[in-house]
Amino acid sequence: MIFKLAWRNLFRNKRRTIIAGIAIAIGLGALIFLDAIYTGEEVLLPQIATSTFLGEAQITHEQYRVRQTVDLTIQDFDETLGMLAENPYVEAFTARAQAFGTISSARDVRGISIYGIVPETERKMSILDEVMVEGEYLTGDNTRDAIIGTKLAEILGVSLGDRIVLSAAQAISGDIAQELFRVSGIFDFGDRSMNSGTVFIGLDVAQRLLGIGETAHTIVLKFLDTNYSRDTTTAFWSDFSKGGNVAVSWVQIMPEIATIDEMMLIGKISMSVILMGVVIFVILNTLFMALYERMFELGVLRALGTRPIGVAKLLMFEAGALSIVGIVFGVTLGFTITALMTHIGFDFSGMEFSGIALREKLYPVMKLYQFIIYPVGVFIFTLIVGIYPAVHAARIAPSKAMRKTM
Amino acid sequence: MSEKIIVTEDVKKTYDENGVPVEAVRGVDLTIKSGEFSALVGPSGSGKTTFLNLISGLDTPTAGKIWLDGKPLSEMSGRELSDFRRDNIGFIFQAYNLIPVLTVEENIEYIMLLQGVPKEERQSRVAEILEEVGLGGFEDRLPPKLSGGQQQRVAVARAMVAKPSIILADEPTANLDSKTSGALLDMMHELNRKTGMTFLFSTHDQIVIDRAERVITMRDGVIARDEVR
Repeated sequence: MIFKLAWRNLFRNKRRTIIAGIAIAIGLGALIFLDAIYTGEEVLLPQIATSTFLGEAQITHEQYRVRQTVDLTIQDFDETLGMLAENPYVEAFTARAQAFGTISSARDVRGISIYGIVPETERKMSILDEVMVEGEYLTGDNTRDAIIGTKLAEILGVSLGDRIVLSAAQAISGDIAQELFRVSGIFDFGDRSMNSGTVFIGLDVAQRLLGIGETAHTIVLKFLDTNYSRDTTTAFWSDFSKGGNVAVSWVQIMPEIATIDEMMLIGKISMSVILMGVVIFVILNTLFMALYERMFELGVLRALGTRPIGVAKLLMFEAGALSIVGIVFGVTLGFTITALMTHIGFDFSGMEFSGIALREKLYPVMKLYQFIIYPVGVFIFTLIVGIYPAVHAARIAPSKAMRKTM
Repeated sequence: MSEKIIVTEDVKKTYDENGVPVEAVRGVDLTIKSGEFSALVGPSGSGKTTFLNLISGLDTPTAGKIWLDGKPLSEMSGRELSDFRRDNIGFIFQAYNLIPVLTVEENIEYIMLLQGVPKEERQSRVAEILEEVGLGGFEDRLPPKLSGGQQQRVAVARAMVAKPSIILADEPTANLDSKTSGALLDMMHELNRKTGMTFLFSTHDQIVIDRAERVITMRDGVIARDEVR
């Protein structure tokens, strides 16, 4: 009966209940939507970061990431490649030689990063082949081919077919080596530093230019399951972090991504607290309005023999019922908006996050927990918040509540 | 008829109205016997409503003692008072005060529900009492759909259904026309005779006063006159 009474009381002032329900619904819908965006970002940002060029993990000489000198190549290179080929967690990998050097054209000279890559395997690890805007991706047929970024081409005043000279210090001897190349392709990563400071050539040519023999500086790899890259407790990391080499996850290579994740999480929590606070005050306001509006009636209920706890229960049930109405609307709203945006997405193309160019749309990701945790959270919070007006109602002396007559 | 159902001894009640003490009841000694059909009359501000609040346990006296059915109210906790009201006192209010969102049947069975009466018994007692007050067939109506007289009949049924020993009625005819008031009073008087329930009215209405077997007049917080007819 108390529940029936509470439910019917809720609809005595339909307009107020609808407004309160909508406010709760907007709060809950926003919570669900916000979580979906955050989840989408959590998936997208590392995906872009790792799929653009970084990879999910890298194997280098143990000193290379600190000193980045050309002589610090991967130890036991062929054996390491063999181990990777047999590793059940690894989907793909590629080797890169890497050094700082200069590029010169007829017009200008620039300091750049030279990457020696294996065109076929590089396709699986980065988007280099997809971001070509002019000419062709490296084929491996012509050892004199080099591909450069749009900005660098502009600075140097070169276009397809033009000659460029790459210079770099050789390993061990430290002698400066030079080689002539032709611009065979121009790429646009959407990232200023990549577009203005990077040149790609074949790995074998780079090995010769840098004097490193048949080895490389970095092996970049991708796991079958991207979650392996976050779990640094698996045997993979220790298996490849020995013999002078070290295997590191993208999380360590780009800690700023993890920082962005943390910032987004803090933002999400802050927004959740604010939205939850709004929902709580809406409920509190509605319950107190209902309480003062029906003070006399509550006095009558007490006079009829309803115990204080019975009056408190009535108010708690009303809070719960109001919450359920809001939750039904909120889940519907959250689902509708999120489902819609998972198809439309947010277009952040051209924006850059910590050196990562956003090339893809951000799509919110719907998860079952969003439709369980947040509604249950709102319901529990509502009940907790409902305790205050419920106790207030239970404590009112019946004679005070009914002061006007009996 | 001789059992003392309400006994008050030097009952006083002083309110604090914005720092000013107001003596609403100033030492009332009263005994109501079981089965009486009495009226508490007096001008506005004479202390009738405050006195009814005190003897029903809705309010606590500043001084004095009250016994209901032999039990001292001052020794009861809030919960015990609630249970005592539920089981022993029926209330009829001036503005009916039915719960508008509950049907006639639900309004009447509410107290029995608090008492834990089984559903079948509740339904049969509701049907029975509605027949008694002449509202058979109105079970599923909502109070706002009833006339004032019908609503007050439902209020009477609600007050009586749990078979309390005392019915306290505060200006029960104030919102009714004289014909409806007379009919309602006759009905209550008949129920009083049949069931032996004690009725105590707080009223200005001459129709109630004319039917009362005892008229207690209050003035300035004290009993000025007590007339048994």
